[in-house]
Formats: sequence, structure tokens, C-alpha cells
Amino acid sequence: MSGTSQPDQLPPIHSFLTTRPQTTLSRLYARPSACLAVFRLLDDVARQIVMSLLWLDSKTGVDLTAWVSPSETARKHYTAAVLGLVRLHIAKEGSGRILILPAFQAGLRRALTGGGEHRSFGVPYLTAGGKDQMTTEQLDDYALERWESILHFMVSSGSSIGRVPPPSNAVIYLLRRSGLMASIGGERNPDSRITSQGFQFLLEDSHTQLWDLLLQYLAMSEDQGRDLVEVIGFLFMLGSMQLGQEYSTENLSDTQKVMLQDFLDYGLIYRRDPEDHTRFYPTRLATTLTSTSSLAFTSSKHEKAASSEGFIILETNYRLYAYTENPLQIAVLNLFITLHSRFENLVVGRLTRESIKGALANGITADQIISYLTVHAHPMMHKNNPILPVTVQDQIRLWELENNRLQSDNGYLYEDFNSQGDFDLVLSYAKQLDVVLWESREKRKMFVREDGHENVREFIRRRAEAS
Amino acid sequence: MSLPAHISLILDLTPVPWAALSRASPPLALRSFLAQALVFLHAHLALRNENSVSVFGALPGRSVGLYPPVSRGSRDRGAEEGADENTFHVFQQVDEGLMRRVEEEVAGLEEVEEDAPPALVGALTKSLCYINRLANPPPPLNPTDAPPPAPHARIVLFSVSPDASVAYIPFMNCIFSAQKLKVPIDVCKIDDSEVIFLHQASDLTGGAFVHVDQREALLQYLSMCFLSETETRKTLAVPTQDKVDFRAACFCHKEIVDIGYVCSVCLSIFCKPVAQCSTCHTNFSPDTLVRFGGVGMNGHGASNGTTA
Amino acid sequence: MKAYKGALLTCDAAVKQILLMMDESEKFIIQDLDDTHLIVQMDQLERVQRMLEVELEKNTYSLDPQ
Repeated sequence: MSGTSQPDQLPPIHSFLTTRPQTTLSRLYARPSACLAVFRLLDDVARQIVMSLLWLDSKTGVDLTAWVSPSETARKHYTAAVLGLVRLHIAKEGSGRILILPAFQAGLRRALTGGGEHRSFGVPYLTAGGKDQMTTEQLDDYALERWESILHFMVSSGSSIGRVPPPSNAVIYLLRRSGLMASIGGERNPDSRITSQGFQFLLEDSHTQLWDLLLQYLAMSEDQGRDLVEVIGFLFMLGSMQLGQEYSTENLSDTQKVMLQDFLDYGLIYRRDPEDHTRFYPTRLATTLTSTSSLAFTSSKHEKAASSEGFIILETNYRLYAYTENPLQIAVLNLFITLHSRFENLVVGRLTRESIKGALANGITADQIISYLTVHAHPMMHKNNPILPVTVQDQIRLWELENNRLQSDNGYLYEDFNSQGDFDLVLSYAKQLDVVLWESREKRKMFVREDGHENVREFIRRRAEAS
Repeated sequence: MSLPAHISLILDLTPVPWAALSRASPPLALRSFLAQALVFLHAHLALRNENSVSVFGALPGRSVGLYPPVSRGSRDRGAEEGADENTFHVFQQVDEGLMRRVEEEVAGLEEVEEDAPPALVGALTKSLCYINRLANPPPPLNPTDAPPPAPHARIVLFSVSPDASVAYIPFMNCIFSAQKLKVPIDVCKIDDSEVIFLHQASDLTGGAFVHVDQREALLQYLSMCFLSETETRKTLAVPTQDKVDFRAACFCHKEIVDIGYVCSVCLSIFCKPVAQCSTCHTNFSPDTLVRFGGVGMNGHGASNGTTA
Repeated sequence: MKAYKGALLTCDAAVKQILLMMDESEKFIIQDLDDTHLIVQMDQLERVQRMLEVELEKNTYSLDPQ
């Protein structure tokens, strides 16, 4: 792949979709809401390509290359975007001409023009009076509480002490299955501990976390023999619903009703009356699934008040002041700082060699720590450039490097070659295979990686036989 | 990730050219145009959750804001019409709000008004004001909160009438404000009349200019040329006008001139040499006036016209 | 021509000196290649790494008073 960073990167759900057979995707694209969701998660250029072709009825496709700006980056970007579309079975490409596949074309057209009888955008539940509707703030509260209870469960390593009730068994099962947590002892043992993958997960933003978990959910549903199209279709339906509107379950399949129950645990869904299974509210976690940034979720006024985005002040003397009383945030900070004192709305701690070493031993990388601190830096810190003190950043990286002072690779040392010519020949062959880790022409020695040994030995034997 | 985008649509709703267009071949009735414009708005809203639109109409003699609805307080959409399970809820809001307003406005037009040129300037000004408000939201209550990022805004102007040179000065002022706000003005020309001011508008603000040759394929034009965002345009180009007519209109008779006389103090343009600038009241030296072809001191131009 | 099985250690010069010192008490180095490379016995690798960690810890001083 080319070295450019963003164009190649598909969002995780798309990477997942590209691994599915075309028939599955075609069935998925029969739902306009799914087409819309997949379309939204594409990158800018890919979306424009789709839009340019959407209303054309050409059977042979269209050559868009004339529209591409004559610069190297533009061409690369364009090629990457087309490749992404082809891998998602949205379009096909042949000799420069691009054609939108009929399944996706029909679905997206239907989504944009509206109408039809597909009912893929959710059936609203019509209440008589608007009085007893849930407000968006109430829904946000609920979603945040559910979601943080999962994260808090993880960060407290399965010990359900504290104010937050533990999540349901289904959630714990999913956490274990996805490798974010591991059970202590046997599979039946209810106690779990967080894995290094889980630590990394905690430092991501909530949008990424949610998708991570949902992808695991998709994989799990597939193993359980559920119809993937139903599952993904339902996710995308949730993503296109309206916050604050109550929806009816009348049109949902059995699979989707089971999912509804699961999503209740994640905070994607709210049921006003736990016993009433005929209607539900999507929460902001659900309705922002298909937005390309976590902006929508964090811009909720309420959430800002509860866990204001920037709360960390880091000084050049490694002292850290966190203006928060959120137990989850304190617990996450506790992963890599030494906490000293705690006040009503403030936690004071310090980055120390021990605390960082502890985090590194848990599998958290220096870059993750730095990016967490940067993302959650207090607005006052934004006056600095760079936001975090350089000395502290460098020291965190240096501590990470300390762990890597010794690198070891298994393999074979070749020596005592008969002649320089022999040595050069073998060396150049091994280099072609890209298995040489160390060489010295003066000493006529080289070190070959374990997996290259067979080939190199074979090469030397054949040469010996030939001569 | 890229910033949210805002499109401000300006519709020329003058009845006379629309009546002509609905009889032309190929015909394009206002209703079918609106339907295609709506799909275009849907497509824009579909691009990103945070994208937004506003729509302004230019009617003969006055301009109106069509969307978003003025009275924000009344949340009547869901209760009144009932949400539709077959349509994305965001689209539905726009559809209902916009269609109703257009019908109201067009129906409310009186016969007398129809001769006046469309109030494009008014619509443009309202649109720029709206964009400016989006770009400068009121400061958040909690000062530690970072204000939400301002959207990338641009204006898409649909024109069906020829230039109204009377409005030259305010129109140019609009263009300059748009330049200052960094708002590109995309122009979609639907009929065949000459619009040199709109050429200049799109050229000066870096927008696209497209003359719709095949009206039956309007939607294709819209989604291919007008949907792409400022960032995307760096990769996939959009058509601009290669020949731009930079002629100006004179300040005295509002006529487009090939050769104009420019006040050396305030840069006002006149079609004939005058003794005193009507804008800044500078008196020009009589010698210069004589050199330009002789003008009486009373300010009335001689009959030897200078426009070619 | 001969080939030995072993583990190639890549390290900085300081660590190499510590390793050489450790080797004096208990042999594990097969060959000393250059300033930053050593070949050691594969089965000794884990023990060496553990010992090195202890040795390096002796040479770090914490600023934190608590």
C-alpha cells in the first residue's frame, strides 16, 4: 500500500464488511438505511464519487479520471477511494471506468428520495400526548451511565466494588470474548481481569470504543448463527433514528428483538417500562453510530458538564492536576499516574517512572498515554504549543525505550566461509529473502532469521553440489 | 476529520421565467425543480451528521427565508404529520418545512409584483448574515467549553433571470462580503439569459459556475458539480467559467459599460465624464473633462457618447 | 562453512558491557560479534533478560520522595 496515511484507512465497520461475501452485502444494501449508513462512513472523495455516479443509468460505467486534479496526492487519494468502493462492493471498476453496482445504487437512491415500503428507518411509536416523552437529557444521562458502568467495570478489573453496579453477564461475556478482559481461573469463574488490549481500549474515545465492541458483537452474532444482514441492518437502522423519538418494535425480526435486549445493556437503547417490550428509545450512543466523528456524542451539552472534555493540567515537573470527580476518569488516570491527593473536584498526582513502567507492563504504549493526555488536556493547556510539556513527553518515551534496551531474535549464525566470493553470494541471496539481521564482510559472518534458515541452507547445499 | 459543511441555497422564484421554462423544451417546471433541489439537499445532509442547510428565496421585489423555519419553538413536525418509517428523519424535516413555505410564498405573489426583478441581493444578504451567525455563535455559557467548530459554508445560487444591473453596487458588495467570509458562491444557471455579475460572483469567490445545458439532467449536474465540499474539490475538480466577463455597470444609469470613467478618489464608475462625482462629490478639473471629450460645467454629458 | 543456532541480541554498548560482566559468573555468550551485537544460547535468554532488568534497576534513582 502507498505510504499516505488516511485514504487507505477504512472505518472498522467497513473493514469488517469488506471481508464478507458479495451476496451478503447485496442483501444488506437492499435496506436504504444501511446504504445511507455505509455511504456516510466513507471518506469525502469516495462519497463524492458515489454521488457523481448515483443518478447515471450507464451500463458501462463512467471515466471520472478527467475530473481528478492533476496532482500526485489527488490521484493517490482518488485511487484509494475507488479501491475502497470496489472492496465494499459498492462499485466496480474496469479499464478506468467506474460503475455503481445496482444493489447499492437502488438502495441509496431510495434513501435519498424517500418513500417506498421498506420501513428500514424504524417505525415510530405514536403516543397520544407528547407530555410523557423522554427528554434528550434524560436519555443522555442513561446512556452515559450504562456505558461508563461497562468501562468502570473494566478499569476496576472486574471487582464490582464502588458505586457502579456491574454490567450484565452478556456484556461480561462479550468483553471476555473480545479479549479485552480475561477470566481468572476457569471459564466458569465469574471473576475477570483486564488485559493489555483492554487497557488500550480504555484510552480510546467513546465512538471508537463503541464500534470496537459492536464489531465484536457482530463476530459473536455470526458465530451464533444469526443472520449478519439482520444484525448489521439493525445497527444501521439505529444509527439513522431520531434522538428523543420513541420507536415501536412491531416491524423487527426475532433476531433484532434479541439484539434490542443486548443493546439495552450497552446503553444504546432505553426502555421506559422494562416490562413493555413493544417500544424503545434509541440513545445518543445509537443515533451517532453513523456519524464520522465522535463530535456528535461529545457535543451534548449535558455530557460536557458531567465529564468536561479537557480536565487535565500537566506541568513540566510531572505533576498532574485533573479537574474531575468522575470515578471512571480517575480510574483511567490511575492506570499511569501515581495519585497523591484527592479533593472535591480535583485529583493531584504525578507521572513517575514506576507508574509509567506499570502502565507499560500492562501493554499500554507511551504514545497512547501521550495521546490520552493531549486529548483530555484542560483548555488552559491549549495555550501551550505543543500542548504537553516536551520534557514530559520525551521522558515518557524514554521510559518506554528503557524496556527495549535489549532486543533478541532467534536464528542462525553462519561463519567460516571458504572464500569472500562464497560469502558474498550467500549474503546477496539471503538479502533477497530479507532474512539477514546482522552481517560483517570483514569477519565473513552473518546472522539469518530462524525462518530463513531452511532456504539459505538449501541454497548453500545446491551450490556445493553444483561445484 | 473534516469540518461539518453548510450549504445555503438561493432560489430564484420569479414566476415569469419559471412559466417560460415550464413551456420550453425540454421543460422544467418549478415543482420538478424543487423536487430535484430537495434531493440535492438530502444528499448534502447525508454526507455527514453535522451538515446543515438553509434556503432563501428571491421573489420579485422581496426576498424570504424559506428554511430553517423562523419559529423554532414550535416543534410541530412529528406530532402534526407523523414520522415516516420510510424516510430518514432529517430529510423529512427539510421536506415539509421547505415545500410548505415555497408554496405559501408563490401563492401569495400578487400580479403587480411580477414585473419587478428578483431580489437576489436581498436573498444573498440574508444568506450571508445567516452564515455569519453560524460562524460566530454566541459564546457558550461555560467559558471553559471550546465553542463548536464553525462549519465550512458555501452558497449555491440558482438563477433563472437575467442580470438586474440596477442592483450592481449592492450585488458587488455582497460578493466582497462573501470573499471576506471565505464563502464560495456556486452558480447554477438554468435558463439561457446573460448573467455577467454571477460570473464574477463565482469567479471572485472561487465557486463553480455551471450552465445547465440539458435541463432534464439537472440532478446529475447538482450532485456532480455542486455537492463536493471545499476539501474534496482539491481532489475532484469542479467546472468553473474559463472566460469571465469583468464588465461593470455604471453608477449613474446602471448600465453595463465597456469603457467606463472612474472617479480617481472613490473609484465610482460612470459611463460618461461628469463634472462632479455623485458618490464623493469630488470636483474634477475642467481640463481633464475637456480632454475626455468635453462636458459642460453643468454636469450634463455631451452627445458624443464614449461607450463603444 | 558452519552454522550455529542461537539468539542474536541487539543492544546499546552500555548494556553489552553489563552482559559481558554477567557472563563472567555464568557463561551464556556464544560469540561477541561487535559493539552492539552478541550471540547467546537460546535457552538462557529469559534468565539473562531477568538478570539484566535487575541490574538496570540498581542504576535508576527515583525523584519521587514518597
